[in-house]
Amino acid sequence: MVQQLTSGERQNALVILLCVFVTGVIMAAAGGSDPLGVHGVIVLLFSAGLGALVSRSFYEPQPDPQRLSQYYDDPIKVGIALTLAWGIFGMFMGVWTAAQLAWPDLAFDAGWSSFGRLRPTHTTGVIFGFGGNALIATSFHVVQRTSRARLAGQVSPWFVLLGYNLFCILAVTGYFMGVTQSKEYAEPEWYADLWLVVVWVTFFVLYLRTLARRKEPHIYVANWYFMAFIVVVAILHIVNNLAIPVSFSQAKSYTIWAAVQDAMVQWWYGHNAVAFFLTAGFLGMLYYYLPVRAQRPIFSYRLSILSFWGITFFYMWAGSHHLHYTALPHWVQNLGMTFSVMLLVPSWASAGNALLTLNGAWHKVRDDATLRFIMVAVVFYGLSTFEGSFMAIRPVNALSHYTDWTVGHVHAGALGWVAFITFGSIYTLVPSLWKRERMYSSALVEVHFWLAVTGTLIYVFAMWNSGIIQGLMWRTYTEEGTLAYSFLDSLVAMYPYYIARAFGGLLFLLGAIVAAFNIWMTVRAVPVAAARQADVPDSGLAPGAAATPAE
Amino acid sequence: MAELFHHKLERTAIGFVIAIIAAASVGGIVEIAPLFTIHETVEDVPDMRLYTPLEQAGRNIYIREGCYACHSQMIRTLRDEVERYGPYSLAVESKYDRPMLWGSKRTGPDLARVGGKYSDFWHVAHLINPRDVVPESNMPAYRWLARTALETNDLGQHLQAQRALGVPYTDAMIANAAADAFGQAAPDSPFATGVAERYGEKTQISAFDGVVSHLTEMDALVAYLQVLGRLTDAAYSNTAAPEQAPDPTN
Amino acid sequence: MDIDHNTLVGFAKSWGLFYLIALFIGVVIYAFWPSNRKRFDDAKRNILDEDDRPWQ
Repeated sequence: MVQQLTSGERQNALVILLCVFVTGVIMAAAGGSDPLGVHGVIVLLFSAGLGALVSRSFYEPQPDPQRLSQYYDDPIKVGIALTLAWGIFGMFMGVWTAAQLAWPDLAFDAGWSSFGRLRPTHTTGVIFGFGGNALIATSFHVVQRTSRARLAGQVSPWFVLLGYNLFCILAVTGYFMGVTQSKEYAEPEWYADLWLVVVWVTFFVLYLRTLARRKEPHIYVANWYFMAFIVVVAILHIVNNLAIPVSFSQAKSYTIWAAVQDAMVQWWYGHNAVAFFLTAGFLGMLYYYLPVRAQRPIFSYRLSILSFWGITFFYMWAGSHHLHYTALPHWVQNLGMTFSVMLLVPSWASAGNALLTLNGAWHKVRDDATLRFIMVAVVFYGLSTFEGSFMAIRPVNALSHYTDWTVGHVHAGALGWVAFITFGSIYTLVPSLWKRERMYSSALVEVHFWLAVTGTLIYVFAMWNSGIIQGLMWRTYTEEGTLAYSFLDSLVAMYPYYIARAFGGLLFLLGAIVAAFNIWMTVRAVPVAAARQADVPDSGLAPGAAATPAE
Repeated sequence: MAELFHHKLERTAIGFVIAIIAAASVGGIVEIAPLFTIHETVEDVPDMRLYTPLEQAGRNIYIREGCYACHSQMIRTLRDEVERYGPYSLAVESKYDRPMLWGSKRTGPDLARVGGKYSDFWHVAHLINPRDVVPESNMPAYRWLARTALETNDLGQHLQAQRALGVPYTDAMIANAAADAFGQAAPDSPFATGVAERYGEKTQISAFDGVVSHLTEMDALVAYLQVLGRLTDAAYSNTAAPEQAPDPTN
Repeated sequence: MDIDHNTLVGFAKSWGLFYLIALFIGVVIYAFWPSNRKRFDDAKRNILDEDDRPWQ
């Protein structure tokens, strides 16, 4: 990895790491025993570790100049490893928190392991750790291949990838110590937020410069989605996290937004995190890895353009559907509802476009578990966008809001769509990236597929049931016109579903572990295929047949 | 003309970025801009009081422990919610909340009006082990709150930071923050009178966790839970709600 | 002009709609502009080309 950098680039890397190290020392000194101080120590250890890695190879020979005429894949490989590591961590935390809801004593009477602190480690672990690393890795891959250009930087891709992971580490370790802004999906405190801005701006500039180098006249649509993901997440992140710290030696800060404004800003952020982090970026994956894996061009390129602008525009307005019947002005609620319903059009246009791409290649879907991952992802994308629009309708939301139905909906999207498209993309990417002729075991891909499908279905059905029961119990009246059930009655009814949910999550976690093993063994044990060219699937198709795009 | 424009837009990636920003942010701006002036529509409530330093510290513990993940603080304008939890929440009631804790999930019940509904003793017992009081509960036990001393030295800085954002804490409140925190949980001490003086006669001054000699995180959290829904009576006078505010003295 | 809450609400309720319609028309024109057809067809096929290095 370091060997691929020239000595000047190695120097630059060391200078950057030194700056980060000094920042860590300052944070540790200023923070003292405050969590800020602990984070300072983490920052300085992180940069010192990487610094040692660079120094060790500092005097090694200069890299081959030929490398500049190849794609830059080293950061992508590390990104995939980090994706899998965070995925297993985040899913494990999910299973643990789910189990705590059924057996509350699994917190073992400690602060760091109680439900409220573990929950954000799960959400951040899977959304930002697993999802974010997958997005960074695949976006680096897709932008190079579709632009026919090497990444526009040698050190900056590493800065983006590793800097982003430092942010994730600060976030998760902070939650264990109770450092949180309590803004859902934006929990990290001010210093971590500032760091993410630096990383994100670098990501943006790198992506833009790579696109500017492209040899293809047209920017392929997958890059549009990645670009929207990068740009809009930057806007959302900055606006929602505006805050002033209590002091520069403390982690705690107070947000500049108060009350109803804070609620609106928070859910404008929250819903667009779903839109541009968990949807746009992953649609970027879909529009590249689906055609490549199926060896068929996308059904309609025009439709992909129309749905891109539809999604980019409509999502921005939808956030207020999280605040139906609250103290938010009524007209804003209605606006959010209307746009949420309209969102169904571009969402289903994308899903339909993907399924029609597969039309005529269903035998490939049957035989190839990787393509099946992508196909199931599309089905769950269609399902959860429909469900989302439905739940944004005020009277439906009256029932579903505050219940497990919301949790079920989120997981239909997060497991069924985000994780499936990620695994489908990774299984496509790994053999081509490491120049292996196939995955270590296609049987294990199959095992993973069925574990993941079963786990997702158990999870989602458990949460649909519990959510709807909960919502109905809360509003059931006796004939005398009094409330029929106490809150406690509704909680007691939830226990069987909480156990089922934890089991479903466990299956999904096992699937991810199988995937990590399979990928590890592919890199370790499968021989290098010298003739291996592009991202051709390994589904038993003859090389000649795979090379011809299907009509 | 249009052709030329699109061609340019696409050739240069930067133009494309601007187009994304235009499409995406206009939605957000148009929708959020009116909310910057929303205070014009929120009525002025003269009896609205501020969080005391002890309550603010309790609120920060509530945030730290992630209580908002399972408890909402927002009663919606639905019949069953009003009958179960009390009058629906008004915008003015969370006027000073940074951040707001309206929540998104009710694994446990809504807490917007929990203040005054249970005794301090009940809250302490419940937080020590919820299943001692409610056998079916799946809430975590928070035993360590009772054995952790409350950090009070920086409470003045906390109030100061909020004043910088527009919360009307006075110089006296900031200067006496630590003493007021102690006084609110020590009713017979000389510090107690200052709390009522600065934050109003309705402020609940009691032993909270039962021990007056020193402050614990339990004191702070219970003080916060007891003030929820009681910063103002507006919700009882300004809505059609049939209920009266709970009176802790009876 | 005095910008108060009602002005902004009015603006959001009216111009937001016009903006939406204009955007929609613009995107449709772009997607269906005849001379764009070839570039879109090329784009969707070119990603299936087999090459594993950047073009020089």
